[in-house]
Amino acid sequence: MSLIPQPWSKKRGKRFLGVALRGVAGEVAFYAGLFMVGVFAFSLVLLTRFAPEKAPDVSTETITSGLATWILGILSLAAIITGATGLVFRLIRLGASNEFRSVLANRAGSIDVITAAEGEPQKLPSVPSARLLTESPGERLAYRLASDTSPAAGFAGPAILTVLWNTVWFVLLAVVVSGFWYQRPRWIMVGLLVPFAGIGIWSFRYFLAQLRKHAGVGSTIVEISDQPLYPGQPIELFVSQSGRLRLKRVQVQLICEEETFFRQGTDVRVERYEAFREVLHKQRDVRVDPQAPWEQQLSLNLPENAMHSFVGSHNAIRWKIVVSGESRPWPSFCRSFPVVVHPRVDPPKPSPR
Amino acid sequence: MNVALCREDGIYHAGGPLQATWQISRVPVEQIQGVEISVMWHTEGKGDEDLHVHHFHRISESQIRRTGLADQQSIQCQLPRTPLSYHGRLIRLQWCIRLRLFMASGKEIVAEQPFYLVAGSRKQCSPLKETKLASPTIQAADDAQPVGEDGHSDVPEGSSTAASRSSAAASES
Repeated sequence: MSLIPQPWSKKRGKRFLGVALRGVAGEVAFYAGLFMVGVFAFSLVLLTRFAPEKAPDVSTETITSGLATWILGILSLAAIITGATGLVFRLIRLGASNEFRSVLANRAGSIDVITAAEGEPQKLPSVPSARLLTESPGERLAYRLASDTSPAAGFAGPAILTVLWNTVWFVLLAVVVSGFWYQRPRWIMVGLLVPFAGIGIWSFRYFLAQLRKHAGVGSTIVEISDQPLYPGQPIELFVSQSGRLRLKRVQVQLICEEETFFRQGTDVRVERYEAFREVLHKQRDVRVDPQAPWEQQLSLNLPENAMHSFVGSHNAIRWKIVVSGESRPWPSFCRSFPVVVHPRVDPPKPSPR
Repeated sequence: MNVALCREDGIYHAGGPLQATWQISRVPVEQIQGVEISVMWHTEGKGDEDLHVHHFHRISESQIRRTGLADQQSIQCQLPRTPLSYHGRLIRLQWCIRLRLFMASGKEIVAEQPFYLVAGSRKQCSPLKETKLASPTIQAADDAQPVGEDGHSDVPEGSSTAASRSSAAASES
């Protein structure tokens, strides 16, 4: 054991190396110091700005110049806010167990302004609500499921890149043309125009390819006979794939996925694991026309011991229907449709009367 | 410190009642600043821990001085319908009764008695049967071990599983 106490502690999994109080003291000292430095710098800025004659020792030339004042003022305010917030947050956590903090958070979160209407299913703790999933009625079956990825998400990025890059290129072109106009040509910019134009053309072609891919594959529709699902309950499923494409293989699966978020250093990482997979339908050599979409009526049975859907702050268990296809000339596609599984419920007890 | 569940196998049905008794012995009352007892679930595994307290009871120092802790104390609550106990690859969802003892020296002693929340019919509790926890020893924070590291199936095979998972850890506040 070292003679000089360390003002920090190290965490190994759930264990702390060193005394936890040292870490707390270190954090408190850091945030308090940050707050004090912020207050000092901010008062310096105020003093030199509004009463420079009261601060003769300070070099007013650097501080009172417009930009420097603003920068120093903003930095000192940021230090004050960060220091004060960190200090208050750390002190609140002091002397309270994890359980007690959880109870306080639960009490704050349990104040519902809008209560559930009569007839609505009772909300289950830590189970995602199926209300949003049942808002969209289906044509063949009761509910139409929403995909968890937006159809525009695939080409929104390339579209933004194309627009921004080509805007910059045209601004550059205007600068070059104006240089020639005023007999002062900017040759470096002229040289940059050619490679920049190449990148602009590539980004535009990439955007067009993504757009064609989306338009060619077409939309996927999944409808379900009941929501939420219960273990052991038979469910009807309707799947439709539209577009103009020839699929080498198409597959409909029911998947249960474990999802965890964890911190690694300063990064937040996510890891997923497929805990359950059932192939509901598999078909080869499928031809899809705009006039004749591929359609299937399927049935599924959740296992009796299936875990219900679960959502925590850092962990989740999600169920979903996944429709995937390998197509030519378009690349493969995979679309998932979340469903909510509730735990099995008992049949109602017979009334004594 | 010992906690006795009302069911020997440690299996409780969602929405059903839970009864348990707990007792702290061989610790002078003057050395205890407070006791917290929680019925809660927490996650274990690769992800950061999620924790939710379903039932919480705190006994302050003045209450302890007034009533003492020599007698057996009881705790009872209605369990929620979810989340059920789960043992997966990345996530383990564990229900437990956690007893936290705040000592005057600033140390905390934590003991856990796990149980399983499963779906199905709501059975009433059988007469109380005591499940002794491992006697907690006050350790330095460097040696404190995380509780409940060994794996188990969703539905336990018997009461021995629950008893074997009983553990206690101490940490310096």
